[in-house]
Amino acid sequence: MSSWLPRGLRLLLWSLVVAVTALSSVGFFAERVQRALLDEGASVLAADLVVEQGRPIPEAWLQQAESLELQTSLLVSFPSVLFLAERPQLVQVKAVQDNYPLRGRLQIATAGGELGTPPGRGQVAVAAKLARLLQGADRLDIGEAELRLVGRVLAEPDVGGNLFALAPRVLINWQDTGRSALLGPASRAKYRLLVAGERAAVAGFQRWMKARLPSGAQLLEVGSGRPELTSAIERGQRFLNLAALCASLLAGVAIMLATRRFVTLVLDEAAILRTLGMTSRQVLWRYLRQLLSVTLLASGCGLVLGYLVQLGLVQAIGDLLGGNLPAAGWKPLPVALLHALILVLGFALPSLLAIRRVPPLRVLRRELGPVGLSYGVSGLFAILGYTLLVFWQVQDAVLASAMTLGMLGVLLVFAAVAFVLLRLLRPLRRRGGVAVGLAALAREPGLTLMQLAGFGLGITLLLLLTLVRVDILETWETTLPGDAPNYFLINIQPHEAESLQALLRRQGVQASNLYPTTRGRLQGIGDRKVVAQDYPSPRARRLAAREFSLGFGQQLQADNRVLSGRWFGPDERGFSVEQDLAEQLGIRLGDRLSFDVAGQVLSAPVTSLRSVAWDSFNVNFFVQGSPGLLRGLPHALLTSIYLRDDDHPVLKQLGQDFPAVSLIGIGPLLDKVRGIIAKGALAIEGVFMFTLLAAALVSLAAVQISRDQREQEIALLRTFGASRQRVLRLVLSEFLALGLVAGVLAALLANLLSLLLAKRLFDLDTGFNLTLWASGSLAGMLLVGLLGYLASRPILKTPPMQLLR
Amino acid sequence: MEDRVIRAKALKKRVKAPGGGSLDILRGVDLQVNAGEAVAILGASGSGKSTLLGLLAGLDRPSGGEVSLLGQGLESLDEDQCAQLRLGRVGFVFQSFQLMPGMSALENVSLPLQLAGAADPRGQARRLLGEVGLQDRMHHLPQQLSGGEQQRVAIARAFAGPPRVLFADEPTGNLDSVTGEQIEHLLFGLRDRFGTALVLVTHEQRLAGRCDRILHMRGGELA
Repeated sequence: MSSWLPRGLRLLLWSLVVAVTALSSVGFFAERVQRALLDEGASVLAADLVVEQGRPIPEAWLQQAESLELQTSLLVSFPSVLFLAERPQLVQVKAVQDNYPLRGRLQIATAGGELGTPPGRGQVAVAAKLARLLQGADRLDIGEAELRLVGRVLAEPDVGGNLFALAPRVLINWQDTGRSALLGPASRAKYRLLVAGERAAVAGFQRWMKARLPSGAQLLEVGSGRPELTSAIERGQRFLNLAALCASLLAGVAIMLATRRFVTLVLDEAAILRTLGMTSRQVLWRYLRQLLSVTLLASGCGLVLGYLVQLGLVQAIGDLLGGNLPAAGWKPLPVALLHALILVLGFALPSLLAIRRVPPLRVLRRELGPVGLSYGVSGLFAILGYTLLVFWQVQDAVLASAMTLGMLGVLLVFAAVAFVLLRLLRPLRRRGGVAVGLAALAREPGLTLMQLAGFGLGITLLLLLTLVRVDILETWETTLPGDAPNYFLINIQPHEAESLQALLRRQGVQASNLYPTTRGRLQGIGDRKVVAQDYPSPRARRLAAREFSLGFGQQLQADNRVLSGRWFGPDERGFSVEQDLAEQLGIRLGDRLSFDVAGQVLSAPVTSLRSVAWDSFNVNFFVQGSPGLLRGLPHALLTSIYLRDDDHPVLKQLGQDFPAVSLIGIGPLLDKVRGIIAKGALAIEGVFMFTLLAAALVSLAAVQISRDQREQEIALLRTFGASRQRVLRLVLSEFLALGLVAGVLAALLANLLSLLLAKRLFDLDTGFNLTLWASGSLAGMLLVGLLGYLASRPILKTPPMQLLR
Repeated sequence: MEDRVIRAKALKKRVKAPGGGSLDILRGVDLQVNAGEAVAILGASGSGKSTLLGLLAGLDRPSGGEVSLLGQGLESLDEDQCAQLRLGRVGFVFQSFQLMPGMSALENVSLPLQLAGAADPRGQARRLLGEVGLQDRMHHLPQQLSGGEQQRVAIARAFAGPPRVLFADEPTGNLDSVTGEQIEHLLFGLRDRFGTALVLVTHEQRLAGRCDRILHMRGGELA
């Protein structure tokens, strides 16, 4: 492809091809994975969007959804009482249509094997806990309907949405709701319309619905179901963005290095053209045209390759990602093209502009270069281009600024070290042997600086991603350990606390502390009365209308972090509010909150705002009060326990000894979050490979920029009688030294940046990693040494005469 | 000591022509150069004289025939052995100077001495630069020197050793006549002093006239 291209443009072309390939494949892949992650989130709703209200769903809503070619399914859930061996048992009946669920998986264990479809007409499936209590019965009376028991529900997608539904679940067919005669006008039923389909159509329906949402109805979208899931998905998305950004930046550096080489190669030609009468603008346009043609060509090739690479990647790990990733969309195409253009404008154009200033006198004195081909200007443009890319990619000003400043810092450190290194190497110029190779670094400070920065940045980002990937993923996974609590015990009366704890101890059950809690409705924020309808967002309206579980305790939970204000002192009265809730409801630090708790007013100022790692599954509260506030208030206690299996004898014992205590199993929700973490980790591994490729490209470009000079040097050394081995030793000493310095520094910077990123982006604590120092230095030396060797080998094989001519 | 420093027999060089087929650059050259002798190879551009020089110095491989340098047949040597043979014994001066751009004049001259493991390479290089009149410009980089000065550095570097054979490819080709004469003077002066055999490729009759023997190259053959 590149034989008709001028020599210097080939490297530029390949750099751009790899850049666009990396960007587009990351784009295609990340978009598919993100959609898969969203689908995973959607499976918690059993749909892409859910409308819920206390009355039957109007036909008009269904018609509207169907007119947008959306799949629909109706669901109703209501409490009911079953009599099991003459004892009443509260259950939550869920009646679903045959196409339930629209997203996620239903799993029912029957005598004939596992079923993925809901019970048919006249049939019923029950939760595992209830199946145990049924003791072999094969029929169940739900209201007036007698239904045949067909199996146990092993998994149902939208269990997470009903975390605090206290009663065990009974699944029946929609058509049996009429027969049961349980759904009267006064029944406490919740009707749901499940909707799924093309994203644009779902969004269209959502807009339509929002405009006519009756009061008391609510729209549930992906992420609004459970904060635990939103947290997990957000973390995954952040890392994918970060990995794609690193690949972009590396590709940009490769393009900058390649352009500088191109400019160096065409300077003579440009000087001749100027001598022949071309204006500086004509000369510039000539090369700009070439650059733009290369950009277009490379973008085309890169997009095709990116699509293919992404297909291969999905092929390789698609099964692990759950088998059915959504198809690749067109969205990454314009994004990748624009990225290519930004990369060229930011990283290539400034160097190319210097051609305009090449003096015609260069035809007589070759040493005359263009005035102003400074590293500063092209660096500045590169930073601007890069910042633009970051903003584009993450659309997060803080993250973008942090990444840009971080990379600037990395480059500055490398420049400073290169300066010191060059100083130190200066005396070596007087000595022979390997020192000749090392001294070569000191002879071309500009080149050495660019190479060191190129190698260094490549290794830094590589190590950073390795670290962040391993450390953060590990830490992420440990936020949800195998023995994360899978049952909550709520409504424990203070007088029962001691005996309940004793029971748990006797049975060897691991339990968290007991947390005092009470229910309260937010009445006022400062002087402002809280009225749900005053809030524009449905989520804020919902939050304002709901009753909060207020927690009380002196201790800040380990997975909480105070973001502003300070944690209350021993005798202080105050509330600590979760950041997101505070934002939604417009609560600021210092505001006095008033809650209505069983007719009493509980009032105190907000002394801190904090973040909560919801996906840790620990007991957490949106609003936590200081212990002093609890005095005189009715309250219950709450704890969480971990049980290895659902048949644990303590379950029966708890039911018998503490009938008022409610036991809530969250195993299925836990599994879902674990699934998201596992998929996120795999996606990250996939995207990481592109960064590897881009880092290799930068290193290659860094080697290539000194290729012409190296050719001449090697030819002369061979002419003077140096053996190939000796020349190789010299070249290797130069590259190994560069690699070592780059590796050590990269390890330091990567470690520091990872600490920062882990804390700021992922809210995780990681530590200093000694293995990284050793592996970074070694990897740097080996990588750069190998590249130096590979780049010099063909030169060494060419007869010196050919090179000198 | 071997009397003949260079011997070439039926030396041929054939290369692939750009449009396909092949092109004979050398068509069977026979040549002998004695120790201390100066031989000029005179010919027009494209006659094959630089190719011949490269083959005689072991910088390139012939397509046919034999070459021996300093009594050693080059066809039996691999690239590294050829390089070993040149080390400290063969010098070069090129039309385009071929100085290491990142090295000062002193470093350029020291380099072959360092490679050959000579004692006090920088001291020797200083003396040589003094002999070519560049004692004040030792620490200048090539780009800070004029063409004539750069060629003087190249001559000082070529005589570092000193070599038994010196190959010079159009050494004054890039210089004005006055500077060219100065270079010519330096080149022959040092050759006489060190008793180095010289193979000089040129198209200048006058320069060739300073050699002991002149050979004419036409169409890939020596006349």
